[in-house]
Amino acid sequence: MAAADPDLPAVAGPVGGDQLPLWRLEIGRFLVAVAGIAIFLAVWTGAAALMPESRLVSPAKAAEDLVANFVFSPRLDVFGLGDAGYGLLMLYTLKNVLIGLSAGAASGILLGVASVFIRPLRAAIDPIVLVMGTVPVLVAAPLFLLWFGIVPFTQILLVAFYSAVMMMLFSQKAVENLDPIYERSAMTFGATLSQRLRHIFIPGSIPELVGGLRITLASAWGLEVFAEILGAPSGIGQAIKALTNLNNVSGLLACVVIVAVVAIATDALLVLLARRITRWAR
Amino acid sequence: MTSLAMNKPDSRESSGKREAIVSIRGLSHSFARADGTMVTALHDISLDVSAGEFVCILGRSGHGKTTLLNLIAGFLPTKQGEVRVLGRPVVSPGIDRGVIFQRDAVFPWMRVTDNVDFGLRMRGVKKSERDRIVTKYLGLVGLSSVAKVWPRELSGGMRARVAIAAVFANDPPILLADEPFGALDYVTRRQLQVVLHDLWRSTGKTVLFVTHDVDEAMTLGTRVIVIGNGAIAADCSIDLPMPRTDDVIATEHGLALKHVLLHHIGLE
Repeated sequence: MAAADPDLPAVAGPVGGDQLPLWRLEIGRFLVAVAGIAIFLAVWTGAAALMPESRLVSPAKAAEDLVANFVFSPRLDVFGLGDAGYGLLMLYTLKNVLIGLSAGAASGILLGVASVFIRPLRAAIDPIVLVMGTVPVLVAAPLFLLWFGIVPFTQILLVAFYSAVMMMLFSQKAVENLDPIYERSAMTFGATLSQRLRHIFIPGSIPELVGGLRITLASAWGLEVFAEILGAPSGIGQAIKALTNLNNVSGLLACVVIVAVVAIATDALLVLLARRITRWAR
Repeated sequence: MTSLAMNKPDSRESSGKREAIVSIRGLSHSFARADGTMVTALHDISLDVSAGEFVCILGRSGHGKTTLLNLIAGFLPTKQGEVRVLGRPVVSPGIDRGVIFQRDAVFPWMRVTDNVDFGLRMRGVKKSERDRIVTKYLGLVGLSSVAKVWPRELSGGMRARVAIAAVFANDPPILLADEPFGALDYVTRRQLQVVLHDLWRSTGKTVLFVTHDVDEAMTLGTRVIVIGNGAIAADCSIDLPMPRTDDVIATEHGLALKHVLLHHIGLE
């Protein structure tokens, strides 16, 4: 992040660009986004008209399916999911991702930051990070299922483990990238190591940590849904599995839309929260 | 020759019998370049600084000024020779030596007031006492109106004021400054010189101030040590009256001093 020229006002328009007021830029961006979605839906509708219903249905049909099965979906009952609809099943998925991500990210950040200062810890952690960061944690998912069974804990643990590994990596980098001048300065003010951790390294690395957390969250959805497809007592992954067995294209499309909407919404919430925490950095 | 108080470092007695607050003996320092060759940054420096002095360390870029300051600050390990501060050998940075850095070191994630408060908070000073001190120094550097602002919202000059207030609020007996105003415009630099000089005069701290600017050294210092090629090229008392306005420096005596400094720095 290059520091802005200290003598320029904090908000400056793009150099050499048209000097449009900010609200007009925002509206312009919004219209472009709407146009993009419209084009996407139009292409989807067109493709659906050309294909048999057993392969692809129109957005309207998918939406219809989504509304009809959102709260209750009796057709999932035969798969042992009760009469829970996509929405209720998604709630299970959301809960698992949030618990897994929070627990995993918290321990990952703690271990990652600590490992920068404690060499033996770094030596122990780095191989794990190297292996788990390279081999997709999905490979271990069936093992987790065998060990812990068809319970929520299995998926939560998988997400937590993945989040911990990712955030360890991000937090190590974030701390190492922090300008050493801040630690030097803190030392001349008499800050002890634990005070430097709390007041320098953690706040100073938050902008990078937030970036890492967004990436981790985005992949956590895929991981959780995949783990649910492998075996889970509930979750949108179980609905996807059931709908695949039923060859139900409209239901599958509805599930994809639900996961996408929830993933985008949680990411937006994370961005809002991050803006508040890192308002010093912009 | 005018009545310049030129001293060899070893024979320095002019500041009376006051005890040296910073004492350096036979200090040398060298770095290894990436290709393995060694560069000598400092060679056999010996130096005593008495309490209350404002010592400007003057020299061209790359001649070892910053290395000397970093060794006194404890940012670099002393490999050869000895650096003593308040009688104790320097092994690490400490609260007895406040530092104003060359680059912007104000913590961007703390508001102005929290930056000034930082050292006091770390040392567990009572909240009411901290508030009193922070308010006082924010006022002295002229930042009272921006106490609750984030550093990024300030100009470079104002951030330098934050750094000055933070160091003085923490009240170290010794202040080390490494070309703190080097990146600022001329007017801002002159204003901050006055701010720093006033604070020094009212607090009686010992200051070691690195600069490459002869005029800045003459404006601020009670003593100027010229560093050239890693060694002390000259050690001059600046016995001009204060405040050092342009008129004071433009007197016959002032100009003679300036010529001596320019000569030792490598000009004239």
